[in-house]
Amino acid sequence: MTRYSGGLIDRSREITFRFDGRSYRGHPGDTLASALLANGVRLMGRSFKYHRPRGVLSAGSEEPNALVELREGARQEPNTRATMAELYDGLVARSQNRVGSLSFDALAVNDLLAPVFAAGFYYKTFMWPRTFWEKLYEPMIRRAAGLGSLSGLPDPDAYDRGYLHCDLLVIGGGAAGLAAALTAGRSGARVILADEDFRLGGRLLAESDPLDDAPAADWVARTEAELRTMPNVRILPRTTVFGVYDHGIYGAVERVADHLPVPDDRVRQTLWRITARRSVLAAGATERHIPFADNDRPGIMLAGAMRAYANRWAASPGIARDAPVAIFTNNDDGHRTARDLIARGARVAGVIDTRPKAAQTTAYEVFAGGLVTGTRGRLGLRSIRVVHDGRERWIDCAALGVSGGWNPVVHLASHHRGRPVWDQDIQSFVPGQGGPQGLVPAGACAGRGSTAAALADGARAAQSALTEIGIGSAAPDLPRAEDAPVRQAAFWHVAGKGRAWVDFQNDVTVKDIALAHKENMRPVEHLKRWTTLGMATDQGKTSNVTALAVMAELTGRTIPETGTTIFRPPYTGVSLSVLGGGATGPDFRPTRLTPTHAWARAQGAVFTEVGQWMRAQYFPRAGETHWRHSVDREARAVRSDVGLCDVTTLGKIDVQGRDAGLFLDRIYANTIATLKVGRVRYGLMLREDGFLYDDGTCARLAEDRYVVTTTTANAGLVYRNMEFARQCLWPDLDVQLISTTDAWAQIAVAGPKSRALLERIVDGADLSNDAFPFMACRELTVCGGLRARLFRISFSGELAYEIAVPARYGHALMQRLVEQGADLGVTPYGTEALAVLRIEKGHAAGAELNGQTTAAMIGLGRMVSRKKDAIGAIMSRREGLAADTRRLIGLQPVTPGQSVSAGAHLFARGAPQDTAHDQGWITSACHSPHLGHSIGLGFLEQGHTRMDEVIVAANPVAGETVELRVVSAQFIDPEGGRLRD
Amino acid sequence: MTDLASHTAFGAAQPRDRTIGALALTERPDIALASLTLRAGSRAPAPFGLDLPGPGGLAEGEGVAAFWSAPGQWMIEAPGRAESDFAAEVVRAVGDTGGTDVSVTEQTDGFVAFDIVSRHGPAPLDALLERLVNLDPALWGPGRATRTVLHHMSVFVLRRDASRVTIWGIRSAAGSLWHALDAALTRQNVGGYP
Repeated sequence: MTRYSGGLIDRSREITFRFDGRSYRGHPGDTLASALLANGVRLMGRSFKYHRPRGVLSAGSEEPNALVELREGARQEPNTRATMAELYDGLVARSQNRVGSLSFDALAVNDLLAPVFAAGFYYKTFMWPRTFWEKLYEPMIRRAAGLGSLSGLPDPDAYDRGYLHCDLLVIGGGAAGLAAALTAGRSGARVILADEDFRLGGRLLAESDPLDDAPAADWVARTEAELRTMPNVRILPRTTVFGVYDHGIYGAVERVADHLPVPDDRVRQTLWRITARRSVLAAGATERHIPFADNDRPGIMLAGAMRAYANRWAASPGIARDAPVAIFTNNDDGHRTARDLIARGARVAGVIDTRPKAAQTTAYEVFAGGLVTGTRGRLGLRSIRVVHDGRERWIDCAALGVSGGWNPVVHLASHHRGRPVWDQDIQSFVPGQGGPQGLVPAGACAGRGSTAAALADGARAAQSALTEIGIGSAAPDLPRAEDAPVRQAAFWHVAGKGRAWVDFQNDVTVKDIALAHKENMRPVEHLKRWTTLGMATDQGKTSNVTALAVMAELTGRTIPETGTTIFRPPYTGVSLSVLGGGATGPDFRPTRLTPTHAWARAQGAVFTEVGQWMRAQYFPRAGETHWRHSVDREARAVRSDVGLCDVTTLGKIDVQGRDAGLFLDRIYANTIATLKVGRVRYGLMLREDGFLYDDGTCARLAEDRYVVTTTTANAGLVYRNMEFARQCLWPDLDVQLISTTDAWAQIAVAGPKSRALLERIVDGADLSNDAFPFMACRELTVCGGLRARLFRISFSGELAYEIAVPARYGHALMQRLVEQGADLGVTPYGTEALAVLRIEKGHAAGAELNGQTTAAMIGLGRMVSRKKDAIGAIMSRREGLAADTRRLIGLQPVTPGQSVSAGAHLFARGAPQDTAHDQGWITSACHSPHLGHSIGLGFLEQGHTRMDEVIVAANPVAGETVELRVVSAQFIDPEGGRLRD
Repeated sequence: MTDLASHTAFGAAQPRDRTIGALALTERPDIALASLTLRAGSRAPAPFGLDLPGPGGLAEGEGVAAFWSAPGQWMIEAPGRAESDFAAEVVRAVGDTGGTDVSVTEQTDGFVAFDIVSRHGPAPLDALLERLVNLDPALWGPGRATRTVLHHMSVFVLRRDASRVTIWGIRSAAGSLWHALDAALTRQNVGGYP
């Protein structure tokens, strides 16, 4: 072990975990990264492209290198940052992106080929031959370059979502965030404090500087304890606020059970949508590294991370407690690391400070004006090459801390296209104007990074945010804290030979940036895409600013002139499981069931999805071995006896008001206002552009009341469009609309014996043809006083009705009709027979009303009334639509036994089968049990004038060509006598 | 009286209910519902003596309640009267109070109602609701009702008192709504929530 004494880990308990098959020990409070370091493990992963051995770079969510596959089996989670994985007993992790073992990765051969794998290599190399891309190049590249792997198994865990509201959301629980939360909490404001860490404190936990002469962790604990007593404050640890969305809504993921071996009955993670009146962004800062040759060996890490491991986790960065450690810095922070390490008992081999006037100390050797220009150690750092005073020397060390200054974490502040601005004084980007409204950056993320400044700034930001929403607050007494000035120097990389890594995760070097410059990929956005810098799981948190600075140096421009990229959500990766909010499989979206669903299920119905609805498709009976047996039987029963079909799913809109008729005249293409009370009319609705979009019936129940029926698919759309028309187009009309689709169970009773059946259930109503003719409707009672609505309408072409009762009685009504109709041969039928019947009758349905067809095309052009205006009427007469001469026709095979296939395109015999000669297409097809052969409906050029002509239907997908005869679309009873009998 | 048996939105004879921890979830097929919409130029009536509430409001009367659902539109509820022609009763009730011009539509079976009642005060209910609907509890106390989205379903949520809410969802989606509510209750009870 390489543990120092102290630290914020629970030494009273020891937990075991496995990494790459080996067992190790750690303590509660550890992360996987800290526990590995404490066990002397420096090599934690392989890089993306060159498979270079890599160790941990950081101690936080910015980690580019130490990515592992966490857990096993279905819970295996790739690309997990070891720095964020909270250690638990039995944790299992594996290194990833390797072929062979971590210490011997066969794909490390890529590193030897680095000279040819420079930036832009793929773009240039894999262009030819083009056909090789999909089958050879892409699979090969994906296999060679990549990160972790998925288990391929369904996620066994539960996820949840939720909504929170507060006056002030504090993002980050470090010095600034705690001060902000304390200020706001004491004011009585509703506060949510979220931090991605499992422990509040941020950098206060990583530094040795006291607060009020006591360890900072004491103040953190006291503050947290006080906040927890406040009912108006909610603390969300393990919660990453990953994005800012419109209207003050923040997206956050709470890792509820990620720190447990298995979640048991808990949810694994929760997606929170937080509506905050104001927010304080206290996200802190990420340390910069300094690229120099071979700066990526395991053991080289950020100096601030080294302090965090030493102070918070008591873990030595080297392979042993007394292994020598060196520091390379361009600012005072590197010295802070050296001091802390020495205090912990480490041996500091020297601090190489790029500043020629760096202060000397007796505690360790300072190489003022020195540079690190190279390193040795294949799987872990052994020594560094230092140039100092014109001399070059190798210094042995097991770890090197690098500090190039700090980058404020401006991500969330730039989510609404708020562009960060360059602060020349601190050589950093800080949040600019124009970011999310109501978000106030504070502390290190605003460039105020000393502990004292961060504490004060957090309190100030909270006060300022609360003042804006009328909540008074007082600044709390804040502890005395270090207040070292932030002095950051413009020293961005060490020039020289060898590869100096800028983006560790994407293996982008200073040379790659120089190449991008040479190839004129100079705008920042081009640089990113050309080199892949800043992509993948870390999104360039440790590389973006350094890359910009290198590009600025190459172009001779300033950093602000070079530009900056802005950041999009999410701040860190968010799993799709939690984004889905926990709904999976059949629960992924709502399902709607008809009132007779339970009855149909009991009958053994096979169901089909129609939008959100589940509808009975057919009702198999014993002995029927193919769906066609059932469907043919059901369709025949309707034409010979009587059938029953639940048609509740059709949309029903109740339209009332003094101007209801006038309103519907404007909605429907045909005239409705003249419809008499007690009658039904078929209607067409057009889009504004003149195309058909829905059809259905409209029944007039009273002078000032209609019921509009829509297709199942368009029920919501028609209602929405009608509401828009009512509220926005014609608010002067007196019309009231409300959907009643679910309120009424509606059953189609179709077939020559339908009247006889209905006469057995209505309470004395006269259903004779004279009293209740085709297209009549009335309100009546059935089955001893139950209110009902009866419509004499037909989709099948037979004598038919639809009867509606309150939905709760739909089930019993269906049962009653089945009982009462037993001697009439009553037969339930599903959507499949429904489709057969309507194709035989030539009724247009969804396949014909596909948004590309007109009223004229389905043979109903004259329904678009010229006596009044209606939505889409004028546009339907425009040249482009009026000139469309394709018409709905029926089709049947010339050779008996051949099939009509929906989707096939129609051509004249002998004509080339290409777009120029396309004459139409087949919309619907089925086997007609009444005709005994396949039939279809389709649109054909001048179809209505081509009866009996033989044409060709080509189905290139199936390689079929069939000769079809053009016939009337009404295969059954073209005169329409049956439905009027 | 019809001899047809009524079925719940789940196709069952009896309503569903489930008690998990402090919270009881109960299907309420007995509540009648009708929409009442003012016609142009009409003033708000006071059916059954109800003072029809403003936006976001819920007014409870004797055996009847009303909540605002759109400008000039309310839903009128009546527990225990679902099997009657409640819409006709609303029309009569409006006529009895001076006869203003309104449109009334039967809505009882357009929806399914679930009561959620806490035996231990508002805290468990608030914890549950924050998993279900995007409503700010500070602005959504007793006497408030709103239309919102719950698991991609349109619902009315009524806060009858601190420890009781009613959720009106689409009747045909009752199964999906029950699943969402039941799953949230179950998780709350196993301590998955704070």
